[in-house]
Amino acid sequence: MKFFRTANHIVVFVIIVVFIGLLAYSIFGNRETPKSSPLIGKKAPDFTLNLFDGTDLTLSELRGNTVLVNFWASWCMPCRQEARALENSWQRYKDDDVIFIGVNVWDDSSNARSYMNKFGGAYPHGIDPEEEIQVDYGVGGVPETYFIDSSGYVRNKFTGTLTEQIIDYFVTKTIEEKDINIEDENTK
Amino acid sequence: MRCISLLILTLVIFGSLISTEPSQSQEKTLDDQANEISHSLLCPVCQGQSVAESNSNLANDMRQVIRKKLQEGQSRDEIVAYFIETYGETILGAPPAKGVNWVLWILPGLAIVLGLFGIVIFLYQAGSKKEEKLEIAEKTKSKSDGIYLDKIDEELKREET
Repeated sequence: MKFFRTANHIVVFVIIVVFIGLLAYSIFGNRETPKSSPLIGKKAPDFTLNLFDGTDLTLSELRGNTVLVNFWASWCMPCRQEARALENSWQRYKDDDVIFIGVNVWDDSSNARSYMNKFGGAYPHGIDPEEEIQVDYGVGGVPETYFIDSSGYVRNKFTGTLTEQIIDYFVTKTIEEKDINIEDENTK
Repeated sequence: MRCISLLILTLVIFGSLISTEPSQSQEKTLDDQANEISHSLLCPVCQGQSVAESNSNLANDMRQVIRKKLQEGQSRDEIVAYFIETYGETILGAPPAKGVNWVLWILPGLAIVLGLFGIVIFLYQAGSKKEEKLEIAEKTKSKSDGIYLDKIDEELKREET
């Protein structure tokens, strides 16, 4: 009888400890949030885009420049909202070793072209005929923007509508972070 | 005659088992493998749907990538590792059995065991309490019965006299 009473107490104690542990982990645990990307701090997946002007562009050939890769689609309203900010920022950064690339995804090419005519396409825009870039970068929706440092590492990701202030913030941050060592990645 | 028919029957059964063995051990087709991997991954932009079930553009692209990687000769583990690297572990349909995730695998079983243990304790305690009550009831009953019987005896004696 006494044994069962003690066992009863142990069971209740174990249940309480397990639930407190789970609660603590959910609050303090180091888990990835949906908006962060596992790619941050890793080598940017290389890609070759078919640009709308008929030429090709390969990411790895841009080494030495800070690269902003913006995923967009013509049917995407936030993409239209951020298009002007991207164009304006590009005009300011184009002489500073900062390159902007627009990747058109999940779209019809004629719609994409008319979108570019309407909202401007001063910097290179293109599509991946294999439609793999968006999966390589873990894109969940548009617009999504990745900031790659001059060594070719993904440093920042932004999900949502960009403004000139947000672009400035992340471009500056990416340029500043380029000298910070990335553990293990350089040995790959 | 019976022995011969039994022998034939045994040979037929074994023969059929042997003849079906190669088809069972045949390697899965590329479609089967792609489908299996697609089912084990969650669509990142859908509510509780796997990559195989979703009709979203992204899931469609992911299915294409899975097929392409299989055609290139990559294994299931390599392909899953690729998706974890790009989308994180949240893309997995089931959490990998490592680290804190063990809790998720162990907890249901533990809950069942603890629940059964609790029921056993409850039933045991309830049973022992019932026995105690019965004992007390019997004791008090016999005691009271004794008093009444004594009274009856006394009255019978009185009437006899």
